[in-house]
Amino acid sequence: MQFMLMINEDESAYEGEGGAALLEATLAGHMMLAEDLVAAGVPFSGERLKPAATATTLRFDHGSVSLHDGPFAETHEELGGFYIIDVASLDEALEWARRIPVPKGGIEVRPVWPMGPEN
Amino acid sequence: MAARPRVVAALAAHLRDLDAAEEAFAGAAASCLALAEPPRDVPAWLFVAGKRRAVDALRKARVEARTAERQAEVAEMADILTLPEPIPDDRLRLLFICCHPAIAPEARTALALKVICGLPVSAIARLFVVSEQAMFQRITRAKTKVREAGIAFELPPRRDWPARLEAVLLALELAFTAAYADAGGELSADIGEDLGAEVERLALLVAELLPQEPEALGLAALVLLARSRAGARVDGEGAMVPLSQQDCGLWDRARIEAARALMEQAARAGRSGPCQVMAAIQLTHARRAFDGAVDWGAVLRLYDVLLALRPSPMVALSRALALSQVEGAEAGLAALAALPAERLALARPFHVARADLLARAGKVAEAKAALDAALALDPPRAERLWLEARRAAL
Repeated sequence: MQFMLMINEDESAYEGEGGAALLEATLAGHMMLAEDLVAAGVPFSGERLKPAATATTLRFDHGSVSLHDGPFAETHEELGGFYIIDVASLDEALEWARRIPVPKGGIEVRPVWPMGPEN
Repeated sequence: MAARPRVVAALAAHLRDLDAAEEAFAGAAASCLALAEPPRDVPAWLFVAGKRRAVDALRKARVEARTAERQAEVAEMADILTLPEPIPDDRLRLLFICCHPAIAPEARTALALKVICGLPVSAIARLFVVSEQAMFQRITRAKTKVREAGIAFELPPRRDWPARLEAVLLALELAFTAAYADAGGELSADIGEDLGAEVERLALLVAELLPQEPEALGLAALVLLARSRAGARVDGEGAMVPLSQQDCGLWDRARIEAARALMEQAARAGRSGPCQVMAAIQLTHARRAFDGAVDWGAVLRLYDVLLALRPSPMVALSRALALSQVEGAEAGLAALAALPAERLALARPFHVARADLLARAGKVAEAKAALDAALALDPPRAERLWLEARRAAL
């Protein structure tokens, strides 16, 4: 089954002194993880997102739509990127999630709703 | 229906869906009762019939599903009657799955008790001191999480065991508490097996699998010590015999010895914990079989430790009783008075303890009232007979 691994991290970790080096190390970690996923034969996709400041949010309220500058929720951790991996169980997904490089933040793991004739 | 927990555990492991397993079992049990002649091996029949029902249900729900493929997995009813397949023992595996860290902590143990031990929701709610409705919702949410989140139905790798151990041990401890309170065997009759014996088996299995975990050893010792008294807990009339009045010649010394060995092994790890302390308290009681008396000072000190590790009104209640043995009934009553009486109003042990201390302090009328309060809380038969006899003797 497919799982989305949503990386919520503190963007400010990549700012200031040492921020650039931390970002470089983190990105290298993502590259290694991608290589490991390929080597393990796990089908996956994933993207890195631009900072939350670039986000635009649409809010829906029973027919009316309004646009807002900024991310969906104002928190100190922002959605920075995601993976979608296809593995047998939550436990395997958690194993991979553990290996995602995150200097500070959290990863939400959720099963993707399977779309198909059976469901 | 006998063997329910075993069959439900096997079905759940096979179907990877706790709800489906319980539904399939209920359906299979109904068909079994409708048979003209009972099958030779009832659990095996129920397992196969349950699997078949679950597949039928799947097929109905998925109109375009690959029915032929799934159909091939199950034998026809005629084969089932002649070829019962052995039931895999999946309970320990399921126990660890129910205690998955992805399940809400307050639901793990409850789920384990429901699925693996087959305890009714009402009994689980009592153990957690919450309403039946709240417990039902908690268990339902946990089952949904197991099903929808894709939790693996395999025994987790060994390195993940310790993280789940606390919940596993708590589930076994609570199951055993329920079994132990059931001196007359009514609950076991209800769920169709000797719950105490099963918890003992599982606790020993966990201790064997995780010999480096002192709390696992402590729980196994605790269960062994309590089980060592099985032959002394009920008298000829079926009335409960309290620990202090049991004939220790009827205790099973082999179990006491096995428990002592487990506790020594646990002590070598140098990490104490509530299970080990509880086992130490029970071992102090068990020493009566060898020393002729109980070292109540030691029991009191152990309850002090337990209260620090796991503060709860029920532990404080047991401590008050130990205190009364050291300092007298009045001291015990004073300790009881400090407990939250409102929270304990529905707890039988609270009223039983009060009755005991009041009687020893010579307050007969109040002791009778406390016994009446305990009797009003619907005790199991063995306990009721004992309470009635005590009331008559006052």
